[in-house]
Amino acid sequence: MENNKEYAIQVRNLTVSYGPKPALLDVSFMIYSGELVGIIGPNGAGKSTLMKAILGFVKRDIGDVYVFGKPVEQTRGMVAYVPQRGTVDWDYPVTVYDVAMMGRYGHIKWWKNASREDHEIVERSLEMVRMSDFRHRQIGQLSGGQQQRVFMARALAQGAKILLLDEPFAGVDAATESAILDVLAEAKKAGITLVVVHHDLATASEYFDKLLLVKQRLYAAGPPSLVFRQELLTEVYEGRLKVFTDLIKA
Amino acid sequence: MDILYSLFIEPLTKMYFLKALAGGSIVAVVCAVAGCLVILQRMAFLGDALSHAMIAGVGAGYLFMKIFFGVEAAAGAMLVGSLISAFITVFMIGFVAKVSRIKEDASIGIMYTGVFAVGVVLVSVFGKYIHIDLMHFIMGDILGISDFDMIVSSVVSAAVLTVIILFFRYFKITSFDPVMAASIGIPVLFFKYIFTGCVSLIVVSAVSMVGVILVVGLLITPAATAYLLTDRLEKMMFLAAFFGFTSILGGMYLSVWLNSAGGGAVMLFSTIQFLTVLVFAPRYGLLADLLKKRKMVPQQVIEDIVLSMDKSGVPVTPEGIRMYMDVHHKVFVNALNQLQDDGMISVSGGMYSLTDKGITEAVRLKKAHRVWETYLHYMGVPDNELHEKAHVLEHFNDSTAIDYIYGKMGYPETDPHGAEIPVFYADGAFCLTDIYGFSRQQVEVVSIDTEKDIKEGDIIKVTHEDDIWTAEKNGEKIHLTEEEVSGLTVKFL
Ligand SMILES: Nc1ncnc2c1ncn2[C@@H]1O[C@H](COP(=O)(O)OP(=O)(O)O)[C@@H](O)[C@H]1O
Ligand SMILES: [Mg+2]
Repeated sequence: MENNKEYAIQVRNLTVSYGPKPALLDVSFMIYSGELVGIIGPNGAGKSTLMKAILGFVKRDIGDVYVFGKPVEQTRGMVAYVPQRGTVDWDYPVTVYDVAMMGRYGHIKWWKNASREDHEIVERSLEMVRMSDFRHRQIGQLSGGQQQRVFMARALAQGAKILLLDEPFAGVDAATESAILDVLAEAKKAGITLVVVHHDLATASEYFDKLLLVKQRLYAAGPPSLVFRQELLTEVYEGRLKVFTDLIKA
Repeated sequence: MDILYSLFIEPLTKMYFLKALAGGSIVAVVCAVAGCLVILQRMAFLGDALSHAMIAGVGAGYLFMKIFFGVEAAAGAMLVGSLISAFITVFMIGFVAKVSRIKEDASIGIMYTGVFAVGVVLVSVFGKYIHIDLMHFIMGDILGISDFDMIVSSVVSAAVLTVIILFFRYFKITSFDPVMAASIGIPVLFFKYIFTGCVSLIVVSAVSMVGVILVVGLLITPAATAYLLTDRLEKMMFLAAFFGFTSILGGMYLSVWLNSAGGGAVMLFSTIQFLTVLVFAPRYGLLADLLKKRKMVPQQVIEDIVLSMDKSGVPVTPEGIRMYMDVHHKVFVNALNQLQDDGMISVSGGMYSLTDKGITEAVRLKKAHRVWETYLHYMGVPDNELHEKAHVLEHFNDSTAIDYIYGKMGYPETDPHGAEIPVFYADGAFCLTDIYGFSRQQVEVVSIDTEKDIKEGDIIKVTHEDDIWTAEKNGEKIHLTEEEVSGLTVKFL
């Protein structure tokens, strides 16, 4: 098979396991450069694992991940990620500025300090997500939406071409949700490919160009109209379907 | 003067004291700096495990040199032995946790006591050949520190400090967000091993001073003390180093004055230092917490003030409001200040009045109260209890809950006493006709039903004069009918 450069991400026959039961099984899909893609699926479906695989962080049992046509191992720094809220130690003694600066770590030689250019990039990234005024705050002393934006700034400072976000909308209020959407839209305009784990089916079809429905396996991939099919959702979400039937009709 | 001299200066004239101070400080400072990363990665156990495991290595090293080379108490071999046993322990902990269902904490418990036990048995079985003072090993002897220990700990400390400073950025990011670190190509596992190695080295060199049991304290306590005082890792490390040094200094004096074991005195001082900071730390201290709580004004007081000012309808003096409240004077003053900060009330000539925002808040509260009263009425609560119960419920600061209850009852127009329930929505929008006195302020249109040039999201200023409603938008005046106004909801900017 050709490794087409048009694809931002190519995942081929990916299987990942932490124990006897695979978290992901034979997952294959492709994401075009500049797309805004949502990953949906119930809890424990392997959505976060899939993100980590695209980052090259988990060991793959089998399968390949290509980023812009190159094996993921050779594309360090091209993919940035905004972690799931629950996985961050919010008491860690770092300020907003420190976190954004981490985006530059991959660019700074290990024996050197951050250059003026690095500082400028960090400032600009913080401005883009409107967090400049909070630069000296410790990250635990921010609202949920502000915390998300700090990590967005870090990803922007990293200068990545692909941005992964793990449940950025979980537990944020409506105003923050729209603020995050604005930043996503801006990033998309700048040509960045966005992959977002999303838990709210009601808004999924509105927010994303394309959806991946995951539960260990990839059940569907494509435009929302294709993915939101009754028999698919029944199978993936089992008992909790009632709520969604309205969605499909809508 | 004499007393001060003999308390503080005289010890400094003693060689053993100075030597202990120097040696102890070097080790304590590096322990504290590394300790910052240790506590942030929740690895406090590591110091414990490593120090206990050491004894097996010390015994084995001693025996090895004695049997093969006939050398007694070869310090170098014991050092190498303890490092090897430390690494074996760390490896075994990870291994057991990985291959079995035993979780890491249990695995630590098993492996370090196990390796410690090997050491104890080794030393006692070969007691004839090995002349190791177990007590010394367990308690340490900072005052009798040997030249060899001094040299070893200096070299080790310098090396470890260099590594931490050189790779500071990488230690920071791998401990804060390993996934991100890996994604930009930082070898997370490599740095984890490097760091574990560093901790092993300093633990081993610190044991001879404060002993197996107290070494964890030297690693954790000064770092934890610093953690309470700062929000940046860099500062935390500097402060931790400082507290490490003061622990040794204070502890040494304590031990001279009380004539106690050095290691014990050092850790005692360090712990007292921690507890003091725990109480007095400006932000994360217990006292600061208490003060913060004292300063916080109960929402109920604020709401009661707003409601009583709304009832009076005219500007009032603070004493006038105070009459209706049963709260501490301090709380009352704080509440007034907070209301002023929030832009709910304004003062002029000593008289307080509600601003538009304050009036809106009053309406919101009235709605909450009346909705709850109606709800309780439906629930069959006797009329004489209605007011009191509703008074408690209205303080729920959750307008979506009110809307839900309100909707569930079919949007009643009045409460059981016949008072009108004002329209006020969860998102902070409200119906203009319910609230008056906005002529001075701009509002944002939330919804409107009109053909005229006003739509959602517009910023307008509405006036009501001579029974004519006028909306001013970008300097342009638009007249609205009574009907349009009743369908208009707005919110403050
Ligand atoms: N580090 C880990 N060790 C062991 N099992 C894990 C680990 N991370 C995730 N898992 C398991 O893998 C499955 C998928 O997890 P995850 O990718 O976090 O799901 P999601 O993000 O969709 O909720 C779950 O069953 C979870 O318990
Ligand atoms: Mg997840």
